[in-house]
Amino acid sequence: MTERRVTVTDPAGLHARQAAGVVRVASRFDSRTTIRHGEHEANARSMIEILGLAIGPSTEITLVAEGEDADAALDALALQLEPPSDPGMGSTPASSSTVDG
Amino acid sequence: MASEHLPTGLVLVSHSDVLLEGLHAMAAQVAGDDVVLLTAGGTDDGRLGTSADKIGSALRAALDRADDVLVLLDLGSALLSLEVALATLEPAERNRVRVAQAPLVEGTIVAAVQASLGADIDAVTTAAEQASTLPKGVGPGR
Repeated sequence: MTERRVTVTDPAGLHARQAAGVVRVASRFDSRTTIRHGEHEANARSMIEILGLAIGPSTEITLVAEGEDADAALDALALQLEPPSDPGMGSTPASSSTVDG
Repeated sequence: MASEHLPTGLVLVSHSDVLLEGLHAMAAQVAGDDVVLLTAGGTDDGRLGTSADKIGSALRAALDRADDVLVLLDLGSALLSLEVALATLEPAERNRVRVAQAPLVEGTIVAAVQASLGADIDAVTTAAEQASTLPKGVGPGR
């Protein structure tokens, strides 16, 4: 079992569109992947479970993967949650009153 | 996704066509444009209400492109109109249609995501129905 801590950088937290991206990425791998937030866990292939964690911005979470391709799965999930530079995938700047996606 | 199966399709039924136009756009943004998603909103003459004819057309269009179809409804008489529409389908078609006990907005978004991943009708239905218990997320009041 491999673990990695990541911080959700999106100013809107882990919102619907990003959760969908996580599910899509997790579904590409055979490993069982889990997102851990405090005492709660979500199957990374379940959008409902991920949204149920209600992960806000700047929150540190733990990605857990178990299986042959665990390392690759963690790399891909971390990239989804902490993109090198997020080109407004989820939200507009904090000064704006609207939130996309 | 394997090509021997068609995807699971969605049909959205609401009293308001405008509401479904917005929901369709949200689902496309979250789940992508490839999901088989048909809408039946409002009456035949564009008022608020539901139309068995519109629902029947949406069901047939979805069944043409999908193995199975999950229907998500808003309120009240939407179910009555749906039952009228279902009665116009062939039994074999009707057996490929399921109705979700799910909130329209949240259920549609998560069902669309599951459908976009090639999930079958059971998995798409389960995801939609689990949306009933989805919290509204972080923010004031939590």
